[in-house]
Amino acid sequence: MRLALALASLLILVIHLAVFYDQFFHPWEKHQTAYFDQALNMAKTDGERAALKDRKPRIEQTIVTQFGETRVDRCQTCHIAADDPRFKDHAQPIKAHPYAEALGDKLVNGKWERRHKFSDFGCTVCHDGQGRGLQAEYGHGKDHYWPDPLLGYATQEPWRNEFKPKLLGKDYLQANCAQCHTEEKFAGTPKVAQGRKLFFEKNCYGCHRIEGIANGTLAPDLSEVGKKFKLDYLWESLVDPRANIATSFMPKFNLTDEETQALVIFLKSRKGVNFAETSLDRYRAQLATKTLHPEVSPTLTADATATPVSIGETLVKEKSCAACHKIGVLDGGIAPDLSFEGLLKDETWMMGHFRNPRALVPDSIMPTFSFSEAEYKDMTEYLKSLRTPPPIATSEEAFKNLCQRCHGEKGDGNGITALYLDPSPRDFTKSGFMNSKTEERLLKSIKEGVPGTSMPAWGQVLNDDQSRSLLEYLWKTYVREPRKPLKPRNVPETNPVAMNPDSVRRGEQIFAMRCTGCHGKKADGKGPNSLDILPRPRNLRNSEFVNAMNDRRLFESILYGVQGTAMPPWVDYGMTNNEVGDLVNFIRSVNQKQK
Amino acid sequence: MSTGKKTIASQTSDLPEEGQNRRQLLLWLSSMGLFGSAFVSIFSNLVFIKPRATYGQPNRFAVGKPDDYPPGTRIALGPQRVCIVREENRVAAISTTCTHLGCIIGTSDTGFACPCHGSRFDFDGVVTGGPAPKPLPWYQVTLAPNGEMEVDKDAEVPMGTYLKL
Repeated sequence: MRLALALASLLILVIHLAVFYDQFFHPWEKHQTAYFDQALNMAKTDGERAALKDRKPRIEQTIVTQFGETRVDRCQTCHIAADDPRFKDHAQPIKAHPYAEALGDKLVNGKWERRHKFSDFGCTVCHDGQGRGLQAEYGHGKDHYWPDPLLGYATQEPWRNEFKPKLLGKDYLQANCAQCHTEEKFAGTPKVAQGRKLFFEKNCYGCHRIEGIANGTLAPDLSEVGKKFKLDYLWESLVDPRANIATSFMPKFNLTDEETQALVIFLKSRKGVNFAETSLDRYRAQLATKTLHPEVSPTLTADATATPVSIGETLVKEKSCAACHKIGVLDGGIAPDLSFEGLLKDETWMMGHFRNPRALVPDSIMPTFSFSEAEYKDMTEYLKSLRTPPPIATSEEAFKNLCQRCHGEKGDGNGITALYLDPSPRDFTKSGFMNSKTEERLLKSIKEGVPGTSMPAWGQVLNDDQSRSLLEYLWKTYVREPRKPLKPRNVPETNPVAMNPDSVRRGEQIFAMRCTGCHGKKADGKGPNSLDILPRPRNLRNSEFVNAMNDRRLFESILYGVQGTAMPPWVDYGMTNNEVGDLVNFIRSVNQKQK
Repeated sequence: MSTGKKTIASQTSDLPEEGQNRRQLLLWLSSMGLFGSAFVSIFSNLVFIKPRATYGQPNRFAVGKPDDYPPGTRIALGPQRVCIVREENRVAAISTTCTHLGCIIGTSDTGFACPCHGSRFDFDGVVTGGPAPKPLPWYQVTLAPNGEMEVDKDAEVPMGTYLKL
């Protein structure tokens, strides 16, 4: 018992001594003592020596108030020789900060003068890191929870080790130079300029928004992305967009490492308000982006032999259309195949779609790229010239080349682009649906397409016989059920209820009672139950679609339901033709307003 | 129990006091451990009371190159509260904090003058009038390796100490 007490008390003593040692004997004291010793040997005058002998290790700090929040930079506690040119060839941490013309330093009478004095600028304004930290690990921001690790010199334990070597190097510091030197062509920030150029070249601006630069609305706002994310996250998001957000539809752009680095540096420099900006500058920049037109690449306009088709072709290639679309051998795997677009769409459609894709396919994810009207025209000319159909000798081949991209290899509506299409491609394996529609109607969908969706009219590519045999092929391969005779249905050809405000109001009431659970209050197909339903409920504000449907078809879907989907036959719930008529009037009125 | 142990010890060993010694050693060891750690923790707590760094203007700061101060000038630096005195080839730093109640002193034709209660000092900071009880302190000026002068307000020097250039 006494032995245990003695041991325990000695152990406590040892722990106390260890804590004491840890708290009161610091590595930085050793660095400072070493610096004083070496400086003493270099000293030339007695005064210098006396002054050095008086100095004792202590925390050196610079308090900087001019750059955003007050910064307390204690870096020079360890890096005590940062401003001592005699130590320029020593090892870190007792090493002088390099002098360079590129940093704005000047050589006067054989002595360098700093442009950015540490007493005015501190350290973290340029380098990031945790200014208050007195241990290398914390000071350099290696602690996982510190938002800005030492830029280009320290990486926190990254979850993707393969990026680690790519995230080191002086170049990354340009992101912080650009906080004050915001000029686009500033000589000290070539990587930021390159990244900005790529941001337009790769069409990032089509989806993303950066205040004062781009107005995209589809993808996350990148105005403050440099403040929110570290280098490794930015790099990862560029090369592997789905690494962090599984549902992201950002394409892989197949960037080279150099391009990725430039983009990462550019993004890292986006930190919201810059130190150099005034509120007036920001307001001007905002006004400027409303009429944003990236310049046409000068090589295009300079070439005298260029035809609209050739300019369009270069534009389509340069503007990264193939990051999403398929054009010949290039395939982004996200959006429809444009390889024979000239057969499927006409000029009016293409121009309208360029100007505003969602006017023609309301739930499309394609951004409105603010190219000039002339560029739209050239690209349209190019797409119109693509009129070589793919091989469609057999139905199998036709399915593979025309349908499979969206409807999937198994015909279950799960093609590679299906995730990005709304409404989603039809699942042919649901025999209930296929058997409930007339052959005529299915053929019409193939030949004329479905307005308001991504289903094109294949009539230009397939003749009647080919369409018919393609449908037979679908039946044989995917439906795998003999065609059943249709049950006779009692559906009026036209809406028996006249369109008037009373009928619309009644229809709205019925809609609120019966339909909003799935189709949503706004009739946009996003009701509370819609998340659990596949295929998703129809967006009834898709005017292109609704206006193309005749009354008979709407009546049939409401009264007898849509087999293979969650839409029930409302006739079973006692809905009358008049009630359905009110509903149809309501749906039509919603789409008239939108037009 | 202790008597039994003693008898066994006396029977088998030449040192009848061994148990006693061991006990004393253990007692000595445990008290040393406990009092030692108490002492260390009291000491470290006392040291802890004084902050190692404060969020004020640092006491050691650079004031620029000697060439920035032409000979014969006396320039008072506001935020640093120090007056840089340049004479021919020597430099000194005199505090501009009044020794009376701590107001910021300005330079005047006769040396320094405090705006608050009218204390007056001559060019060397010696009190010539007003309520100030002590002369203005002089601080050490050194020439840093990068060519700038550094003033250390932690190091007071006797009046009339100049840095020779």
